[in-house]
Amino acid sequence: MAPSAQVLGISAGSTAIPDTVTRDEAVSLYACMVLVRAFEEKVRRLHAAGRVPGLPHLCTGQEAVAAGVCAALQKTDWIASTHRGHGHCLAKGADPAQMMAEILGRATGYAGGRGGSMHIFDAENANLGTNGIVGGGVPLAVGAALASTRLHPGRIAACFFGDGAMNQGVVLECFNMAALWQLPVLLVCEHNGYGEYTASDDVTAGRLQDRGEAFGLPTRDIDGMDVMNVWAEARQAAERARAGGGPTLLICRAWRYSGHHASDRQDYKDDEETRQWLARDPLLQQRHLLQRDHGVDARELDDVLAQAEARIEAATRSALTAPEPDPALNSLRVHA
Amino acid sequence: MSWNRDTALDIWCRMLSMRRFEEAAIALHAGGHLTGHYHVYIGQEATGAAVIAALQPGDLLFSTHRNHGHYIARGGDPARGLAELLGRATGVNSGMAGTLHLCDPAIGMPHTSAIVGGAPPAAVGAAFEFARRKSPRIAVAFFGDGALEEGLSIEAINLAALWKLPVLFVCENNGVGAIGAQGGGFPGSIIGTERLTAIPESYAVTTMSYDGTHAEGLYRAALSARTQLLAGKGPVFIEAVTRRWAGSQGLWPELVHGPTDVRQAWQPDTVSEDAASDWVRTGDPLMRLGRDLLAAGWATAGELSALDERLRQTYAQGAEAALGAPWPDPSRATSHVFAEAER
Amino acid sequence: MRQISYRQAVLEALTEEMERDERVVLIGEDVGAAGGVFGQTRGLYERFGAKRVIDTPISESAIVGLTVGAAMAGLRPVVEIMFGDFITLGMDQLVNQAAKIHWMSNGQFRVPLVLRTSVGTGSSTGPQHSQALHAWCAHVPGLKVVFPSAAADAKALLKAAVRDDSPVVFFEDRASYAVKGPVPEGELIAPLGRAAVVRRGRDISLIAVGRCVGIALAAAELLRQENVEAEVLDVRTLSPLDVSGLADSVRRTSRALVLDQGSRRGGLAAEIAQTLSEQVFDWLDAPVERLAAADHPVPFAPALEQAVLPGAREVRSHVLRMLGRKETP
Repeated sequence: MAPSAQVLGISAGSTAIPDTVTRDEAVSLYACMVLVRAFEEKVRRLHAAGRVPGLPHLCTGQEAVAAGVCAALQKTDWIASTHRGHGHCLAKGADPAQMMAEILGRATGYAGGRGGSMHIFDAENANLGTNGIVGGGVPLAVGAALASTRLHPGRIAACFFGDGAMNQGVVLECFNMAALWQLPVLLVCEHNGYGEYTASDDVTAGRLQDRGEAFGLPTRDIDGMDVMNVWAEARQAAERARAGGGPTLLICRAWRYSGHHASDRQDYKDDEETRQWLARDPLLQQRHLLQRDHGVDARELDDVLAQAEARIEAATRSALTAPEPDPALNSLRVHA
Repeated sequence: MSWNRDTALDIWCRMLSMRRFEEAAIALHAGGHLTGHYHVYIGQEATGAAVIAALQPGDLLFSTHRNHGHYIARGGDPARGLAELLGRATGVNSGMAGTLHLCDPAIGMPHTSAIVGGAPPAAVGAAFEFARRKSPRIAVAFFGDGALEEGLSIEAINLAALWKLPVLFVCENNGVGAIGAQGGGFPGSIIGTERLTAIPESYAVTTMSYDGTHAEGLYRAALSARTQLLAGKGPVFIEAVTRRWAGSQGLWPELVHGPTDVRQAWQPDTVSEDAASDWVRTGDPLMRLGRDLLAAGWATAGELSALDERLRQTYAQGAEAALGAPWPDPSRATSHVFAEAER
Repeated sequence: MRQISYRQAVLEALTEEMERDERVVLIGEDVGAAGGVFGQTRGLYERFGAKRVIDTPISESAIVGLTVGAAMAGLRPVVEIMFGDFITLGMDQLVNQAAKIHWMSNGQFRVPLVLRTSVGTGSSTGPQHSQALHAWCAHVPGLKVVFPSAAADAKALLKAAVRDDSPVVFFEDRASYAVKGPVPEGELIAPLGRAAVVRRGRDISLIAVGRCVGIALAAAELLRQENVEAEVLDVRTLSPLDVSGLADSVRRTSRALVLDQGSRRGGLAAEIAQTLSEQVFDWLDAPVERLAAADHPVPFAPALEQAVLPGAREVRSHVLRMLGRKETP
């Protein structure tokens, strides 16, 4: 039996941030979020211009969770992502050009155009893929964590899932097994208050934090708009997992600026609520922190922005000029 | 409805009938008549009888592979139940479904699922309908501790809580072995929590845990749960904790000391001194209620013996009828694959 | 040659593969301490320990899902689903994840898992514990599906399945667990995707899946008394199908009757029959026919249950009709 739950307490403030945060680390977190923001903005525009097949799901507003968690991971640590996963992929080191090509369905994409936005796999960065099934990545990450205990002790896994996925039976089954077997996995819930078009309060009984506790999972309730906080919590959880201390459920409160998918008009959101969340924009928060605590000046920050945008521009050009995939290749790799 | 002599005696009779049904099943198996694996409810009778006694005729109950006790407690015909175990045409499901699926809409037991976790969602669906129509009916899902390992049970709890549906979830936790957890036999549930009740609690469901051998406590709990459910306050989760009885250690159920001797309730000296008998003394809910009835002066040994004798005859006749019943006609196998349009 | 049971053959395959490759792990309900509910993993827990033989909660969906992730991360898991009926609970993980990941990732990840499960009628286990859903799996691109009927094949093909880098669903008929067959000593491995001729004949090809192989052999003995020599094939791998192996047989016999343990409508027999029509139409003297399990849930009562699958006598009658022969009683 797993040890009884240790709820370590709500950390809405910055209580968990360690003393030593270098300037470079803080800037790097900003740069990652900026890259994700620029990428998503580009996808949004391309989609609005009719150039993206299907319906991409944008993570604008949730950048801090991707950046903070992935910054606590090594290259060889596994991640499993969601249908809203571009940020996770980029934060884990994916190449924006290959990602953009995949989203546009080109031959140079991560999956040769076979998967699109919801099926971006990146083995080089131990990314088990974005996933079209709600909660689909959770068992994959739990399984990878199990494999790590046998094959590569010290290697951990992290999975992302939304508040909606917390109602999915398979996710709860995974909570049980991760806790039971003390697997080295970070279970990261991006609690953005909505499952598709429905507020999570309307579909969720009880409190999400309590569900982890019920299985004996240490649970943290985190401000997901504050990247320093996410990173500090993720680091603690990662260290614990690496040392054999088992899984942690990290519930990160965040907000997605976009709709469920790029064509969603978001009629279900409240204007006042939106205003309040926008005021806590993760990029703005980090920008202020860098200026205030690390003496970074505006020009340097603007340079970071410009570099990100340039990178995304280059990636987009490359993707837009990439060839279409050949349908004759469709039947390859059905079997290994 | 309240806990009084009539109620207690009624529950004891149901429990005794449930016990005799299972003993008849074991005897039929020993005689080579029963095919397939089967699961007996011995040791859990107080839970089924007490909860079911608190229900009204319009309530619906959904059960599991361990359903015989629920079927009998709800008023199922023992002869038809035994015939179903034997796969005969006179069985309650015409021999089609067997031991794993005893159910009878006529007694408010529409469906049993042999897939672990199958009862909760079905009960939630029935409750949804009751709530929609504002009928004064509840749905009851019986399931074991293992069902909480299945995600779909938890999905069902979430929905019931969210929509404040009139579902009574009854978790029969028999995870602890009769001879202790290390005594061999099959393991208890594999779950990462010390307390199963933490799971429904995390959905803000009214949750209670009871001694599953205490009929009175469970009866009162079920009555008050029913009231709460009909007031639209949301589902109730009752955990009933029992110990596995001694005969469950092996692959097949066996009556370690033969059929239950009800006289042991008032003649404790006749109970032998071994580990299995400790269960008779302290874990057998039927004995417990028998002792309580006598202590309260609500029944005499003679009355209980007389009730026992009547039931023996019922079961002797039922088993004989079942053994003599015809096999179903193979052509019946294709009926009801699809539902025909109602005229 | 020694005779061992199907169950023993499976156990040998698992033991040998686990000894050979430490990445092979076993995971499922009651596979460890209890030795498997049908005794098919007995002793493995004691031999390989709790970290390689893992008992799980009753959570088919997550169990299948996590073996996918474990396989992607380098293990070679063998996941057991106790009754084939329960694969329904793990279908999302099997179909939407396992079957597609190698393809969707354009080859970046492999999912070398084996899902073993037990199927079949005959023990009065009732409608939810008696199905044979192999056709569901064979229908999904990306899954390999194996259904051996003989003990030797069970061993040889399970070893091959473990070594295969694609997800393989491995069906075992519970009724064959205790049945003994000749199994050579020593290393025994056979490629997936090959049918086997288990009886030579010239008059008709009886192409059989799972338990129907035994039924076909029994029918062939009855038919010999009518001077009809039936060739019996054990399909063994349902996906990918050994089209050329089956076609070769029909070229020699000119007639085919397909026998499947799964239910008839939308089943494997239809797939095989149509494939043969496409491949060897010019050699056929008559349309390919099929016999399969009845299209209704499996009843509990033994008298009803035994009528679900065609027996040897029914097969014999059907063959004689196909040959235009009058039946002698």
